[in-house]
Amino acid sequence: MRTHLHSKGTQFTVAVMAALALFATDAYAVIDGLTGSTFTLSAKDGYVLGGDGLSIYTWGFADDTGPMQYPGPTLIVNQGALVTVSLKNYLPEPVSIVFPGQEGVTATGGVAGQLTQEAPADNGATTVEYQFQASEPGTYHYHSGTHMDLQVEMGLVGAIIVRPTEFPIDQWAYNHTDSAYDHEYLFLLTEMDYDVHLMAEFGLWDQIDTTTFHPVYWFINGRNFPDTTLAADTPWLPNQPYNCLPRMHPGERLLLRIIGGGRDLHPFHPHGNNTTVIAKDARLLQSPLGTGADLAYSDYTITSLPGQTVDAIFEWTGAQLGWDVYGHAPGDPMEPFEYAPDHGKPFPVILPGQQELTFGGGYSGSPFLGAAGDLPPGEGGLNVYGGFMYPWHSHAENEIINNDIFIGGMLSLLIIEPHGTPIP
Amino acid sequence: MNHKMLKTISCGVLPLMTLAMVAGTATGAEYYLRAEAFTKNLPDPSGVGTIPIPMWGFALDDSFEGLELQAVSVPGPRLTVPAGDTTLTIHLDNNLSVPISLTIPGQITTKTPVFFTDGQGRQRVHSFTHETPAGNTTMVDYTWTGLEPGTYLYLSGTHLAVQVQMGLYGGVTIDAAAGEAYSGVTYDAEVMLLYSEIDPALHTAVDDGSYGTTGPTSTVDYNPKYFLINGEPYTSATLPMSAGAVGNRVLLRFLNAGLQTHAPNLLGMYMSVIAEDGNVYNFPKGQYSLTLPAGQTKDAIVTPSADGAYPLIDRRSDVTNAGGFSLGGMVRFLEVAP
Ligand SMILES: [Cu+2]
Ligand SMILES: [Cu+2]
Repeated sequence: MRTHLHSKGTQFTVAVMAALALFATDAYAVIDGLTGSTFTLSAKDGYVLGGDGLSIYTWGFADDTGPMQYPGPTLIVNQGALVTVSLKNYLPEPVSIVFPGQEGVTATGGVAGQLTQEAPADNGATTVEYQFQASEPGTYHYHSGTHMDLQVEMGLVGAIIVRPTEFPIDQWAYNHTDSAYDHEYLFLLTEMDYDVHLMAEFGLWDQIDTTTFHPVYWFINGRNFPDTTLAADTPWLPNQPYNCLPRMHPGERLLLRIIGGGRDLHPFHPHGNNTTVIAKDARLLQSPLGTGADLAYSDYTITSLPGQTVDAIFEWTGAQLGWDVYGHAPGDPMEPFEYAPDHGKPFPVILPGQQELTFGGGYSGSPFLGAAGDLPPGEGGLNVYGGFMYPWHSHAENEIINNDIFIGGMLSLLIIEPHGTPIP
Repeated sequence: MNHKMLKTISCGVLPLMTLAMVAGTATGAEYYLRAEAFTKNLPDPSGVGTIPIPMWGFALDDSFEGLELQAVSVPGPRLTVPAGDTTLTIHLDNNLSVPISLTIPGQITTKTPVFFTDGQGRQRVHSFTHETPAGNTTMVDYTWTGLEPGTYLYLSGTHLAVQVQMGLYGGVTIDAAAGEAYSGVTYDAEVMLLYSEIDPALHTAVDDGSYGTTGPTSTVDYNPKYFLINGEPYTSATLPMSAGAVGNRVLLRFLNAGLQTHAPNLLGMYMSVIAEDGNVYNFPKGQYSLTLPAGQTKDAIVTPSADGAYPLIDRRSDVTNAGGFSLGGMVRFLEVAP
C-alpha cells in the first residue's frame, strides 16, 4: 500500500502551501532570456545581493533601457539567424563584446579596441553594432573584450542559446536526437573577488590588481544559494533576474547547459546520478564518421573550464537504490519508468520518531516520492508534491559558501517530482 | 664564467668520452645547452618603463668548449629534433651557482635520482636525475632514446619549485616525418605557444639568497604578476604571429611551463585539438577553448577559412601586466594571410 499518511489537517496545510510553494508557479520556467535576433545591450552598473545579503557593486549588461543584469540577458536565437547586438556604454571605461565560438563576427561603430570595436565611456551616446550568423546550434556565451581581467570579474558576461533548425518540432539542443530533452536549465558559473568590486565602487582604480584574484562569492546564473532556488524575477533581486531550480519527473531527460563564465575552473557536480556529457563548446561530441553524440561519456563531476560550454543530459528513475521509492507494496501497480527489480522492496531504514528529528522546509514528512507525512506544526511546506531534492553544486567545496558563510555559493537543488506535478 | 679557462684545459681529457658518445648517437640529434642567470625587463604596470627581473635561462652553444655566443633566453631555445632521429642528447654547461639537470616529461630515459638528507634525517629527492654541478668543467650529458613524436617541454629536474619558475624550461618538438606532427597529421604552418608566469618576489628572493632563509621557503604563496607566451607578455607593441594562410592546416603547439592552469580561447575559429602530452587522441576535439594545466602540452589544428588576425586570449583573465590597465599577459593575435 502506498504510504499516504496525511491527516485532514495536513491536507489543508498542503492546499494552502501549494499556492505559495516555491516551485509551483510559472515564474520558475526553464531558461529565461530574450528571444529574437536583434538585441540592444547597455553596459551599466548597479548592485547584486550576495547570498549573505551583502550588496556588491557590479557591472552588467542590461536589456537596452532595463536595469543592469548579472549575468547579462540570455540571448535565445534560432540557427541561421543573422544576429545583431547593439552595445551602448554607461560605464566609466570603454566596453566591447566578443562572441566565442561564433565565426565571422563583424563590428561597426565606436572606437577600435584591441580585440574588437569598443563603445567609449560616453553615457550611451555611441552604439557599436556586432553581427554574426548563428550558423551552428548550441550553448554559447558572450563577454567583454575590453579590460577583460576587470570587466568579466565585474560581471560583463551572458549566455547565448542557438536553437537548432529542428526546434521546436523536436525539443533538441542540437540537430540530433541524442540531444533531446524534456527540460532544459542554464548553469552560468561565475565568481567574484569582493575586494575588486569594493575598490571599483569607491573609484580606487589604481589599487585594483587583478593578479591578486581571491574570489569569495560563487554564482549560478548570477545568484548564490539559497537565492538560486527563489523565483526568477524576484522583486528584491532586481539586478539578478535569473534563478536556477532544475525540476523533472522520473524517466525524463534534463538538459544542463553549463557555461564557465568566470576565470576559475568549477567542477560541477549533480547529485542523484551520473550525467551524460553530449557537447562541448557547442559541438556535439561526435566522431568524424559517427552520427550524433557517439563520443558522449558518463561522469558525475563535469569539468567546466573558463570560456567553455558543456551540455549534459541527466536522467533519474530511482534505479538501483535497493528500495521502492514510491513505498509500494509488492502487489501495487507500478509508476511510469519505475525500476522493476526494486518494486515493493521496503525502505531499509527505521525512521526515527519526530522528537528525534530536526526538520527542514523541504521535508515532506515521508521518505517516499509523491507522498507526504505528518509533520510538527509549522514544519515543512516547501515540498508539497513530495519531491526528492538533490544538491547540485560545485565540487570545489570551498565554492559553496557566501563570503565565508556556509552554506551558499555555487549550489542549487534538483527536485525530482512525482508524475503529474506541473513543471513549466 | 671563470671556469671557461678550465674547460679549455680540461678539454684534453674529454675526447675519448666524446667520441664514444658521438658514435652512439650517429642517428640522433645533439644540442649543447648552457644555463646562465640574466636579467629580463618586463613592462611596468603603469605602461611606462620596465622592471628588471632576475631570471635563469638556457642558450644554445656550438660546443662545450667553444665561445658562448648566444644570449640565454626564457624559454630556452626550441629544440627541433629532425624527423627520423630516435635519440636526443643534450650536453649541459651550467654557469649557474647551483646544480641543475634536465628532464623531458613524456620521453623515455634512465633516471638516476639524487637525494639529500633533510634536517629531520629523511632521505629526500633533490634531483630527478643526475646533476650538472655549478660551473661544470666537463660537460654532462642527458640522453633520451626511442623518441616519440610530439610537442614536449624540457625542464630542469632539480629543485623544480625554484628552478622551473626561474626560467629553466623550453620546448622540444619531434615530428613523425617532415611536415607531419604525428603519423597522418600533416601541417602547412605551425605556431608554437609556450605559456609561463613570473612571480617577481620569488625571483628576487632566489637572486638575493633570501629564498629558503629569511624570505619565502616555497612557492606556496606563488602570486605571478607576469603572464608570458614564448617568454614575453603581450603589449601594444607585440606583433601578430604568422599563422599560415587561408586553407592551410596550421598546427598550434601549446605548452605550459608555468605553475598555473591556463585556458587559451581562440576567437573567431574552432580548433581541432588532436593531441595531449604527445599522445594523439582517438578522435580530435572541435573546440574554441582548451585547458592547459601546468606541465601539459596540447596540439591543435586550425584550418582558417578567412584571413585576418584572430585573438588568442587566456580566459583565466591573465591578460594584464602586473595589474596594469592595458591589455597584456597571455594574449596573441594569429595572423592568417589571404
Ligand atoms: Cu514500486
Ligand atoms: Cu555534494
